[in-house]
Amino acid sequence: MGRRSHPKQEIEAALKYAEQNGWRVDVGGSHAWGKLYCPYNDKECRCGNFCISSVWSTPKNAGNHAKQIRRIVDNCTRYNVADDSSEEEE
Amino acid sequence: MKEYDFTLKFNLQNSQDNPDIYVEKLHEGGCDDALIGVGRKGYISLNFIREASSAYEAVSSAIANVKRVIPNATLIEATPDFVGLTDVAKILGCTRQNIRKLIVTNEPRSPLPVYEGTPSIWHLAEILIWLREAKTYSIDDALIEIAKTNMDVNSAKRWQKVEPNFQENIKALIA
Repeated sequence: MGRRSHPKQEIEAALKYAEQNGWRVDVGGSHAWGKLYCPYNDKECRCGNFCISSVWSTPKNAGNHAKQIRRIVDNCTRYNVADDSSEEEE
Repeated sequence: MKEYDFTLKFNLQNSQDNPDIYVEKLHEGGCDDALIGVGRKGYISLNFIREASSAYEAVSSAIANVKRVIPNATLIEATPDFVGLTDVAKILGCTRQNIRKLIVTNEPRSPLPVYEGTPSIWHLAEILIWLREAKTYSIDDALIEIAKTNMDVNSAKRWQKVEPNFQENIKALIA
């Protein structure tokens, strides 16, 4: 992939994880290093707001920022529908 | 100092505002410990992992940081607070059936849902405190503390909806 790598190793690994799950990474900004776009970016998505997330170039704590990125990928409702076998809530 | 993990969701004053325009300023304004969600016009969400001496300090300073940059933003919700059984299971790393059984078999001593329906909704703090105290589960202190603080913030938010003229009477009714 042609994009620039994030200077923090943990964050770069989290971005790669997002890309493996179909997310797009756009580089650009100053404090903001770039943006992450959910592949579904769907109006019906319940968590909506994080479908586009801003990634810092210098977050307070790189390890935590990486964790936050991985979590939005894992929390995506559309992504979870694919392997959600649990029954409807009662 | 503990780390508190929570998300604040705000409404922007203008429903057509692109939240992206605030991102750079939020970094300068102390939100460099948050992942900022800008996926919907008119809204902005911030997932903080904030170090603070208490959950209240973490949440109140985070709200203050955002309000300083976007004075007209109004808080919609602090999470985690309202949860269904699937959410609780995810948070605790067990199955939904497991949690459901615990709550159902311990009725009426288990926490009451705030909404009983499809699905039922609880306050996370009430479930966690009950699990720790009655069921001797080991649950992270910071998680209980943040869930409790979010419940306070969200409840205060709801209270604002109460007609001012009725507030005194209603307080007496629910005492």
